[in-house]
Amino acid sequence: MDVKNLLSTIQANKRLQAIIVGLYIVVTFASLYLAQKSVIAFLLLLASLLLLYFTSFSNRVKWLVGGLVLVVLLPLAASQGEAYQSYMEVATLVGIYIAMALGLNIVVGLAGLLDLGFVAFFALGSYTYGIFATSQANNFMPFGHYPLSGESFWVFIFIGCLVAALFGVLLGIPVLRVKGDYLAIVTLGFGEIIRIIFNNLDKPVNITNGAMGLASVKPPELFGIQFMYPSQFYYIVLIILIAVIFAVRRLEYSKIGRAWKAVRENEIAAQAMGIHLVRTKLMAFAVGASFSGMMGVVFAAKQTFVDPTSFTLVESITILVMVILGGMGSVPGVILGAAIVTILNLQVLTELTNWLNQLSLSGVIHVPDALSPAKMQRFIFGIILILFALYRPQGLLPAKNPVFDEKDLKDTDSNHPMNTGVHKGGTQHVHLDS
Amino acid sequence: MIEQVLQTLPQVLIDGLALGAVYAIVALGYTMVYGILELINFAHGEIFMTGAFVGTAILLTFSGLGWMASMPAILALLLVLIVTSVATGLLGMGIERVAYRPLRNAPKLITLITAIGISFLLQDIVRFITELKNGNYILTGPSLFSKQIGVKASAISSVFNDASVKSSFFIVLILAVIMMVALDFFVNKTKWGMAMRAVAQDRETAALMTVNVNKVIALTFFIGSALGGATGVLFAVQYGTIDPYIGFILGLKAFTAAVLGGIGNIRGAMFGGIMIGLLEMFAAANLPVVSHGILGAEYKDVFAFAILIIVLIFKPEGLFGKVSVEKV
Amino acid sequence: MSLLRLEDINTFYGGIHALKGVTIEVNEGEIVTLIGSNGAGKSTTLKTISGQVKPKSGKILYNGQDITNTPPHITALSGIAHVPEGRRIFPRLTVKENLEMGAFSVKDKKLIAERMERVFHYFPRIKERLHQKGGTMSGGEQQMLAIGRALMMQPKLLMLDEPSMGLAPIIVEQIFEIIKELNDEGMTILLVEQNAFQALQIAHRGYVIQTGEIVMAGLGQELLVNEQVREAYLA
Repeated sequence: MDVKNLLSTIQANKRLQAIIVGLYIVVTFASLYLAQKSVIAFLLLLASLLLLYFTSFSNRVKWLVGGLVLVVLLPLAASQGEAYQSYMEVATLVGIYIAMALGLNIVVGLAGLLDLGFVAFFALGSYTYGIFATSQANNFMPFGHYPLSGESFWVFIFIGCLVAALFGVLLGIPVLRVKGDYLAIVTLGFGEIIRIIFNNLDKPVNITNGAMGLASVKPPELFGIQFMYPSQFYYIVLIILIAVIFAVRRLEYSKIGRAWKAVRENEIAAQAMGIHLVRTKLMAFAVGASFSGMMGVVFAAKQTFVDPTSFTLVESITILVMVILGGMGSVPGVILGAAIVTILNLQVLTELTNWLNQLSLSGVIHVPDALSPAKMQRFIFGIILILFALYRPQGLLPAKNPVFDEKDLKDTDSNHPMNTGVHKGGTQHVHLDS
Repeated sequence: MIEQVLQTLPQVLIDGLALGAVYAIVALGYTMVYGILELINFAHGEIFMTGAFVGTAILLTFSGLGWMASMPAILALLLVLIVTSVATGLLGMGIERVAYRPLRNAPKLITLITAIGISFLLQDIVRFITELKNGNYILTGPSLFSKQIGVKASAISSVFNDASVKSSFFIVLILAVIMMVALDFFVNKTKWGMAMRAVAQDRETAALMTVNVNKVIALTFFIGSALGGATGVLFAVQYGTIDPYIGFILGLKAFTAAVLGGIGNIRGAMFGGIMIGLLEMFAAANLPVVSHGILGAEYKDVFAFAILIIVLIFKPEGLFGKVSVEKV
Repeated sequence: MSLLRLEDINTFYGGIHALKGVTIEVNEGEIVTLIGSNGAGKSTTLKTISGQVKPKSGKILYNGQDITNTPPHITALSGIAHVPEGRRIFPRLTVKENLEMGAFSVKDKKLIAERMERVFHYFPRIKERLHQKGGTMSGGEQQMLAIGRALMMQPKLLMLDEPSMGLAPIIVEQIFEIIKELNDEGMTILLVEQNAFQALQIAHRGYVIQTGEIVMAGLGQELLVNEQVREAYLA
């Protein structure tokens, strides 16, 4: 039996799938539990979610098993050694980047607007919390006493979301009149402007503390418990992330989601169909920005430090790489892309660098410092962008468009004349929009 | 306040002109490629940067071999300019062949993304080669034409302060003018220049006139990149120190210049470049003065990007352009 | 003798089967016209010949040579001039430059000047407009320039795509007269027209194309009096 046959047999047999996935989770769980220092075991356990994605279980089962892995198994398996916090740190950042990439995916993937200054919204969120959760706000706020307590964090998640959305709209109103490729340039310029302003807004009134940044941002607090460790932030991020994924899923198949796709495919035709171009694009900007702003608040609280160097153009491009790598317009794809890029950035490259350094120290081979993988981010991202644009523009997990079965629709139409929902199940047709 | 602005004006004009000349030639590369392919060639700023590094490397090699002493500096510079422009010209052509041509019928979004990818790739390749050879990615070239010449602007009118000019300023300016005039002649007066304009206006019909469109596009990339690379060398000579990240922001400003002059319009790009250079220097010198120190010189980039955004939003056809109707 | 022959050409536009087994022949010295309604596949036929569109199957023979997948600039070099639909003048090139573009493959400056004089002989009005930008001319003048530009190639085969489109009847008259004159001087012409009446009057032979298929062929005069043709295209 060759590989293809084997795969199709597995695809056909749910019980076999359950055994494989279960076994995989148990083995990777056990190996991480026992071998605490094994980054590979940690990554393999995370990869169980990808495996789960490819199974043919119902969505509810997938969510349940995935939830079990993320809420219980992963933290539990990682909790047995010194590396616990660093694993959770990675997992937390993965979550933050996934939410941002999902936000950018709405703008680039669904609405087809290339935004190269996306990190600006993240910065807005971070600074919003950073300024009020340090004594910084005392410099210019006429009333109130700062820093605000850690309990305000929960409110600030929403404030960050709103501020970013507001700026998304404010930026969008003039900018969205610009045609496609100029938009990329304008957003890039906007991103730089925001960074430069934050970098210099220590005078005349000291609002952002300039290049020095804001230190000792108050950690979140709930019922007297302070959230200080990545293992705690992990759960905050997880909850927000689930809400974000849920929202994205809902939006994608809603009226506005279809309007986004229509605008992406052909602006003029979309307009002729009665879609309000500017309003539709503004929505994309606002929603995308709001995810980013929310995570900015979390990021500021987690790092307890905010400065402009976290919000450079490279960050914007990094998020773009996540979207392109995973697949523009595809939610599972973007999640995968964000996870891969973040882990690559935080874990693989550093591990590889350490390993090479050790080899150099023990004299096996000599790798010059200039070529150390940790410095090669731009190179790697550049290669990813080029290769994917050229050979796989639809990304690793391409977006699926639901296909309506004509006959089926007619049948349901006659029964429920108002039913125009997406037809689930049946065939899923993959559109390779390139 | 006006007094202070006027005092620094001579120096602002000199510095702005030097910077503007650099922007102008880099803008030519953007405008030519956009004119012919409707593509923002993000990598063009990196071609400029690569040119700066290649040129500086050759100059450093020359002085390492002791040749600089035996050869007039201007001759060495010309030699370096020729070698560098051929190298970056070929690089630009190669990028078009490998990364843009296969995507010519793909959605613009995808091509733009490739261009960003190329841009990052070039930055890092230059970074690690320099770091490998030099130990550090910041490179300082041999100092050429560094004699300071005083300009007695106060002799014209007492409201001006005296200014000073590095002698390289004249060389940069003269060479930049030569390059621009040569390009203008090529595009407007020669057969291949005419073919370039024809391809930019109507690619399909140009092919019906026996024009090999791919060849013309490759030629466009070669010329634009050669000019960009040569400008990189001039930049390195004028400002001394370079790093692999000088290209991106400079490229963005040069692109602003191209848009300001009307994208696709070669003379417009030259004009736009000079304008942006002057405005930037003016802003750098006077923003702190005008705002009483509230806005520092760091805001000059904000100023440049604000111009970019305002032009793109309100006058995307440029200062002298006509509104074009979007094709369906 | 056959100068151009299309054998069983099938061309697709995306998913649309635009040409379904088209077979036509143009003999040396002839005016052949291809008539049909909007969207029947007339322009696609010319585009397939000049190489702007690649056929999925079938063969194009020119002078006995297979030119089926030749790119447009090579096809043009071999002596087939294509005056595209809508004239496609280079709008921001001067009239003179537009003409020079037609002679792009010619190196000899004297030869270019000679050919330009020849064009002025047919279209005296172009000479008056020489330094004007192409895009500033009237529709009729643009059509004349487009034909003149093609003549600068001194082609063996001149393909014209709807030269009468959007022009005043008197201009159309003039243009058709010049087409006739060119043919009298020995140039082979393939004329695509929606204006069937005028085209058939000057054509030696004609083909009728309908939704991508050749449905009728015959002498120009025959088709002109054919009942079906009269009903569908001349009414």
